Amino acid sequence: MANEDLLKLTITELAPRIRAGEVSPVELTEAALARAERLQPQLNSFITILHEQARSQAREQEAAIARGEYLGPLQGIPIGIKDNLATAGILTTLGTKVLSDYVPDEDAEVVRRCKQAGAIIIGKENLEEFAAGATSNNPFYGAVHNPWDLDHVPGGSSGGGAANVASGITFASLGTDLGGSVRLPGTFCGVVGLKQTFGRVSQRGLLVTSFNGDHIGPMTRSVSDSALVLQAIAGYDSLDPSTIPVPVPDYSAVLGQNLAGLKIGVPSNYYFEQLDEEVEETVRRGIAALQELGVTIREVSIPSMEYAGALNIAPMADRIVTHEPYIDANREAYGPDTLYRTLAGQFVLGRDYSKSMKVQRIIKEEHARILTEVDFLVTPTSPVPAPRIDAPYINMEGSDHRVRGPGSSLISRNTSPMNATGLPAISVPCGFTESGLPIGIQFIGSPFDEAGLFSVAQGYEAISPSAGRWPAIAD
Amino acid sequence: MPISKDTLRAMIRDFHGFELSDSELDIIEPELNNYLAEVEKLRELDLSNVMSGRLLKVDEGGNFDG
Repeated sequence: MANEDLLKLTITELAPRIRAGEVSPVELTEAALARAERLQPQLNSFITILHEQARSQAREQEAAIARGEYLGPLQGIPIGIKDNLATAGILTTLGTKVLSDYVPDEDAEVVRRCKQAGAIIIGKENLEEFAAGATSNNPFYGAVHNPWDLDHVPGGSSGGGAANVASGITFASLGTDLGGSVRLPGTFCGVVGLKQTFGRVSQRGLLVTSFNGDHIGPMTRSVSDSALVLQAIAGYDSLDPSTIPVPVPDYSAVLGQNLAGLKIGVPSNYYFEQLDEEVEETVRRGIAALQELGVTIREVSIPSMEYAGALNIAPMADRIVTHEPYIDANREAYGPDTLYRTLAGQFVLGRDYSKSMKVQRIIKEEHARILTEVDFLVTPTSPVPAPRIDAPYINMEGSDHRVRGPGSSLISRNTSPMNATGLPAISVPCGFTESGLPIGIQFIGSPFDEAGLFSVAQGYEAISPSAGRWPAIAD
Repeated sequence: MPISKDTLRAMIRDFHGFELSDSELDIIEPELNNYLAEVEKLRELDLSNVMSGRLLKVDEGGNFDG
């Protein structure tokens, strides 16, 4: 098999061949770097490509495998890292001009764990400025383009990573998800995006973030690959008080199970409101397909979601605090979308912040109660397919909704609630619009039950109409 | 409950040390309007007895991978 063809395999398929010495991490890395270079003019998915470091890591891992020092399925696998995750000695810009020459001293904990697992980091990936938006249309490093249609956004804020995974440049990317920033690019680029339970993965080294629900999670080309990456990065970190000391199960062991007998809840309110017609039809077809696998589908009501918009108030206030060290002295270096959206946080009253946190509690409780009645919830990941890069608005039911900047919240409507509840959620490709843009279905599970979530997501993935399809740019 | 531009401008000036023009405040307005609309929805909701709690309960027993 030619090295270019190897780039279209999954980690799950490739890892045994690397272990057996049939595939060279050095050659695989060269192929990934070559494809990264070839596609940059179209995708603009990297801020920094780490040619020499990646080659050096690949040589080290190849030699280690030859010595019998096998570290696990990520060993020798080219991956990408979002540019808001600290990488020691490597430029980490957060997609902002303000930090355009920032070089951290230490790796983020997740980066350290990936390196420890033998993964090859081939670059730092482009993102929304300060990871604050859903388009990855960066005012300083340029817009990332969707591999399925270059005129459309890849989703954000982890857009570069999703574009790379979808194009066969990398096998996985570590993104960050504060309101859907892993799951939305996953949806728009037709790959799997996981936001695991809050507290499952260390956030140490995730820069300029909110303490209200940010998560570092993987984007991959399959559910089983998502399980492999989570296996490598999950676990208690004594230096990050947000992590919870709970056991990390063997995620791969639960894959391939029969879904018959599972109960899945379909929310009758909120999540299926304000939907693009093609998205709704496609997701409902996916739900019907689950029924054919023996899953019991049950309609559930989540009345507290009437107040879901209030969940945005606390992060709005957090944003101004997060940016406090930068914004006053560097106002001119900010792009307008981030600047004005951030400044709006100054006006949030303490009373309303408190109310937002209390609403968060109510919504958490209600989801927890419903998840005692059903095993999982299923929703569309995004209410709309990827908008055009130059579209300022999305028209929905006669109203214009801003795509980016102040007032934009439609795209993350179905993902951001799980950042507030902390519940694990995964987006799996479930089909395409007539114009060929990917659509995603979101499964939501109980706290720390990523294993169950992988199981149901993989069961669906096997019958998804997206299976086996690639964007033309990857050929 | 609209907030006057003079109030908004004064808050930014006093807390951040720079002036925003009317057109800049117009750009912020949609974010502010979303916020105020959500606050309005909460007006009749009794939140006085909601208990605190950052995390859902989990089984913290057993071994864990550090």
